[in-house]
Amino acid sequence: MKLKQSLTLFLSIGIGINSAMCFAQSASMDLQKNKNPMDIGISALFATGGASKGNSTIANLQGGGHDPSKIGFTLQNLELTLGGAVDPFFDAQSNIIMLLNDEGEAILEIEEAYLLTKQLPSGLQIKAGQFYTEFGRQNKMHPHTWAFVDQPIVLSRLLGGDGLRSQGAQVSWLSPLPWYAEIFFGFQNAKGATGNSFLSAGHGHDDHADEGAEEETSEYPINGLEDFLYSARWLNGLDFNENVSANLGFSGVWGPNANGTGTENDLRTAIYGADLYLKWQAENSSRGYPFVAWHTEYLFRRYEEIEEDVFTRKDSGWFSQLSYGFKPGWIAGLRLEMADSNEEDEHAIDADERFRTALNLTWLPTEFSKIRLQYNYDDAHHVGEAVHLVWLQFEYNLGSHAAHVF
Amino acid sequence: MKKMFFLLVLTFFSSATWAKVNVITTTSDLAALVAEIGVDKVSVTSLTKGTRDPHYAQAKPSMIRKVFRADLLVVIGAEMEVGWLPALMRSSRNSKVSPGKAGYLDVSEFIELKGKTSARVTRDMGDVHAAGNPHYWLDPANGILMAKAITERLIKLDASNAPSYRENFNTFKEKLEKKIIQWKSDLHGFSGQKIIAYHTSLLYLANAFNFDVRGYVEPKPGLSPSASHLNQLIETIKSENIRYLLMEPYYETRSAQLLKRKSGVNYIVIPQSVGAKPNIKTYFDLFDGIVNALKAVEK
Repeated sequence: MKLKQSLTLFLSIGIGINSAMCFAQSASMDLQKNKNPMDIGISALFATGGASKGNSTIANLQGGGHDPSKIGFTLQNLELTLGGAVDPFFDAQSNIIMLLNDEGEAILEIEEAYLLTKQLPSGLQIKAGQFYTEFGRQNKMHPHTWAFVDQPIVLSRLLGGDGLRSQGAQVSWLSPLPWYAEIFFGFQNAKGATGNSFLSAGHGHDDHADEGAEEETSEYPINGLEDFLYSARWLNGLDFNENVSANLGFSGVWGPNANGTGTENDLRTAIYGADLYLKWQAENSSRGYPFVAWHTEYLFRRYEEIEEDVFTRKDSGWFSQLSYGFKPGWIAGLRLEMADSNEEDEHAIDADERFRTALNLTWLPTEFSKIRLQYNYDDAHHVGEAVHLVWLQFEYNLGSHAAHVF
Repeated sequence: MKKMFFLLVLTFFSSATWAKVNVITTTSDLAALVAEIGVDKVSVTSLTKGTRDPHYAQAKPSMIRKVFRADLLVVIGAEMEVGWLPALMRSSRNSKVSPGKAGYLDVSEFIELKGKTSARVTRDMGDVHAAGNPHYWLDPANGILMAKAITERLIKLDASNAPSYRENFNTFKEKLEKKIIQWKSDLHGFSGQKIIAYHTSLLYLANAFNFDVRGYVEPKPGLSPSASHLNQLIETIKSENIRYLLMEPYYETRSAQLLKRKSGVNYIVIPQSVGAKPNIKTYFDLFDGIVNALKAVEK
């Protein structure tokens, strides 16, 4: 697409949003009269930055589909959120994302669009549509709610640059245990650009996708139930006291991968993960500050590949991040992460040994805007030397109030 | 064996009949009022603590479990919980307590809210709620209206205990009416006094005790004070000879200390909710606490 064309497309999307916003204002007026109970919001996330190496290196280091991955300016995501109660039986939410790729072309994504039941008995709830797989804590968080500018390495590698999400259904059960314990079972398509590790071997976005993987995806025959994604998660929530709470989760996802297409071999992928989130909030907190939050996840993948024989590639990695909200609106963050694989090619971009640390400072003038400065020290084996990256991120939110989730 | 089974079934049914109404409230003030009316017939838990600003609560997993098991959910309303309650209700999958059902009580519907505006509200104004200012529990006269709404709802849900709820309400109302007269006479010296408040949350308190609020430490509701705004405030305090600054315990005191140093204004930290201090356990304690904090400075 030519620049002029893409500008026109983006402008028309912009006009669409403007009219949506006019609608949002009238909707919020109507909300007071309880006439049109739909929440409409838009969130825009921009970044700019530079690095000690050039764009070709940065593009490989910043593996997330919404990560800033070039020197200069990036529109990480422009998200339109529409949600509310459908009727007494269902809630629904749709998140439509637009972004601009390196060529300035606009890309449209259906991030999520799902129904959620409200009236099932015994603590059961069903989600159906296009949604993030319940796996760990970060996978289903939308980019503008992240504590850092970019996606953790291990998530880009194992769950995909856009996060693991697909069409399907999920049932969850809130157990009667004396603490919060919820179990999720998911059944989703393994095909599609966001089924990384499964029937899509490439990244989610066109500009990252490798052509071969796209072909493998389209050629893979779906014969039955064994060709879908199955996921399970056990999430626990504990309050140690009034000021300290934690979430502890265990997840697994199983499905086919496309490497055996055209051979006799039926190759499978399994990913396992554990996640811990611990948060302290001061007794007398103002606007939720001061607080300290610690978020850690570990992931492990068994990925069957075919070379001369079937070979099981094992990849793993972790990230651990600390956020300290030291005064209202101000958060300092530190993230450490590692990823590695038993892949023989030590210079493989997605399988080399890698260590990265990030430091950031975030200022939220109100709940509706955010400015963040982040420094990454990235030591990837495939690059051969440590790379320094600096990002400045800016976010705004218009429309309905975003949720304060734990 | 058969006899034992029968006894067990009997115990189960009788305990089900005598089971208390499980009430969950969003704030500690609502929980205190429910406790006054429900006494031994209900069990009540607040989702948030009185030491924190309920605007900025987070939907914690333990809250999901509480709302899931609730018979009655009592909320402040008027957008007070807009940041966290909708997400919490979606996860809690308890249709008994969804808006419109008898198990959901939005107390703001029973109160004459102040600061309502039909003008267009934008976020340029800060945290302005077009539906009205939600800090209405700080007018003790509203305590009676709140308790009345709770009483009526408990009667609707648990008719067998209606006489008890009515009696408790009457006792509460009589006591509160007497106390209001006493508090007003205690704070007689403050009547008509010009004050500065930290946030717009003290509108109802000011109205109840006739304080004249001349300015706010926050330049706009929910925004941190800037140096230029504080300088302007110092001028206002000096020129209008304002003696008191009232604020909640969860706000920073640096700005108040600066104002005191530069203008001589006394800053008074008042409890804004039940549970704001360990000794404030009831709705009566709350106003006793406010009155004591004010009188301590007056002397």
